[in-house]
Formats: sequence, C-alpha cells, structure tokens
Amino acid sequence: MATLHVLSHSPFSDSRLGSCLRLLGPDDGLLLSGDAVYALQSGSLARQALELMPDSIALHALAEDLQARALTGLPARLNAVDYPAFVELCCNYDKVNSWL
Amino acid sequence: MKFAIALFAPPHSPSSRRALRFAEACLDGGHEIVRLFFYQEGVHSASANAVAPQDEPNLAAEWSAFVRKHKLDGVVCIAAALRRGVLNAEEAQRYERPAANLAEGWDLSGLGQLHEAAQMADRLVSFGGN
Amino acid sequence: MKSMLIISRQAPWSGPGAREALDIALAGGAFDLPLGLLFLDDGVFQLASNQKPATLQQKDLTANLQALPLFGVESLFASARSLQERGLDGAALNLAVEVLDDSALTSLIDRYDQVLTL
Repeated sequence: MATLHVLSHSPFSDSRLGSCLRLLGPDDGLLLSGDAVYALQSGSLARQALELMPDSIALHALAEDLQARALTGLPARLNAVDYPAFVELCCNYDKVNSWL
Repeated sequence: MKFAIALFAPPHSPSSRRALRFAEACLDGGHEIVRLFFYQEGVHSASANAVAPQDEPNLAAEWSAFVRKHKLDGVVCIAAALRRGVLNAEEAQRYERPAANLAEGWDLSGLGQLHEAAQMADRLVSFGGN
Repeated sequence: MKSMLIISRQAPWSGPGAREALDIALAGGAFDLPLGLLFLDDGVFQLASNQKPATLQQKDLTANLQALPLFGVESLFASARSLQERGLDGAALNLAVEVLDDSALTSLIDRYDQVLTL
C-alpha cells in the first residue's frame, strides 16, 4: 500500500514535515502544497531532509504554490503538478494522508 | 474513481481554495464526488455571511455555487457548525439565534455522514490547516 | 468495509481539535467501523494522567478517551518518539495504548485503507 502524504504548512514553524518524514514508507509519495513548498528552499535543513529521502519516494509539489513564491533551484527529482495531475496522483496512490 | 472530499479550513484559508480547485479537477477528470464534508473550521466555508473584500475571491460563495451547479451532496457537521455559529433556519430557531447563515446547497448533519462517505468513496481526500 | 486510521496530533487544551478528532473516532465506533486511533506529536499530551481541565472550564477529555473501547475502538496507539520527546512515561498514561516506534508506525499506516491526520 502506497500513501500520498500531503503537507501544507511551512516546515520552519511547524513539526509536520519532520513527523511525516519519519513515517514515510519506501513506496510513499510526498506532495508539498501551500507553505509546505518552502521546504524546497535551497540551503535549508528542510531541503536537505527532502534530498535525503530514498529515491523510491516520489516528491511532488503544487506548481501554483512554487510560482507564487518564486522558488528556484528546485531539485531535479521534483514533480510539479497542476490540479488534474494532483487528482491523478490521488488515484495512483492507494490512499491520501493530508497532514491537516 | 469516487472521491469523498473533506474540508477543515475557513474560506479565507488557502486550503479552502485548494480544495475547491481540486474538487473541480475531479469532476473535469470524469470522477465522481460522493460527498463534500465540512468539519472543524471548514464549517465557515459553508457560511453565507462572510463578506470577502472586492478584490479577493469569495470562496464560500464559490463553494455554494459549485455544490448547487453539480448537484453534489454537501454536508456540514452540525456539532462543529453550531459551536462556530453557522446555523440553518431550523437551528437558528431552536437556539433562538438572530440569523440563519448556512449557505444554499449545504445540509447540517452528523459525523456519521463523513464515515459513510469514506466507505462509499475510493479515495478520501482532506484539506485543512493552511 | 474500509478501515480508517485517525491520527490525533493536537494537545488537549489547544481548542476543540483534540475533542473533534476523538468525536470522529467515537462516531465511527458507533457505526461499528474498523478504526484505529494514533496519538502523535502533541496529541500524546491527551494521554497524560491527572489532568484537571475544570480549571480551564473545559470538559474532561479522559472520560471520552476511556469510552473508546466501549464504542468498539480498541486499536489505540501512541508514538514512542512523541512520548519520549515530551517526557511522558508510556506506562503511566490515562489510556491503555500500544506504544510504537517509527518503523512500526509506518507499518501501521500501511495497514489501513484510509488515514485522517488532524
């Protein structure tokens, strides 16, 4: 069973990313939305933590949130998604766990 | 696929807008939404009383229009709604409150509806927080 | 029937969040649904003993927690790491829960059809 974990809080003021990373299974996926995309900020510990995730864990982010925040220097493994692709991701994973 | 979508955030939260865009994409993609369930602060996303600034989207109004246009089953948790002051006419009368402010298209009901939706759906997707 | 894991992350007196997460579990139990409840991060503070919420004019959450088995929700878990980080003794909680380390939590999440983390 592969779970898509969805985050929407900034990792700098919140413990959700840290807690989520510790619980990820090898086939799980991570979708960063809202302020959670700040975890991709170059030079940050959060960015390092994401890069240390095993290759088998897919890393996605909502494109509109990346663009709104003018984030650049994004990791090559990142898959930026629009809403139709977000829906499709939910279908492809067995379940969706949003860290509310 | 059948989707149940739960919202836990108010209309001015980015996650309320995100949930609506997601819901629209579900329908555009040919999927079915078996129920929308609003809980915790999400009950405010079903309020008819929020007045969004002119230069901002009015998410509560957009949600109401969405539910009605597609004839979706829109449920707001009654306990969460009462606590936060989102009432339909019946509850406003029962509790002698000055206004009924539940937007059109929404029904107040219990948490059992969330569980029923979760059982009916292939995917339960929740939105909330930020 | 689909099984659902509810992950409760809110401290007990930080607003209605903890209570409302618990209500989801109790409602599911009332309908005989296969449910699990995991206390994670600040959610483990709900399990601390001897709390006196009346001083905050709040209802005691402990009674609701202890009602879980009566509603058929017996799969109760707490994160070992969350307890340890917060200086809580897994043996002195107000509820009988299975304490799991991180890899056991990964497996736990995997076992359920749906997850709700609030």
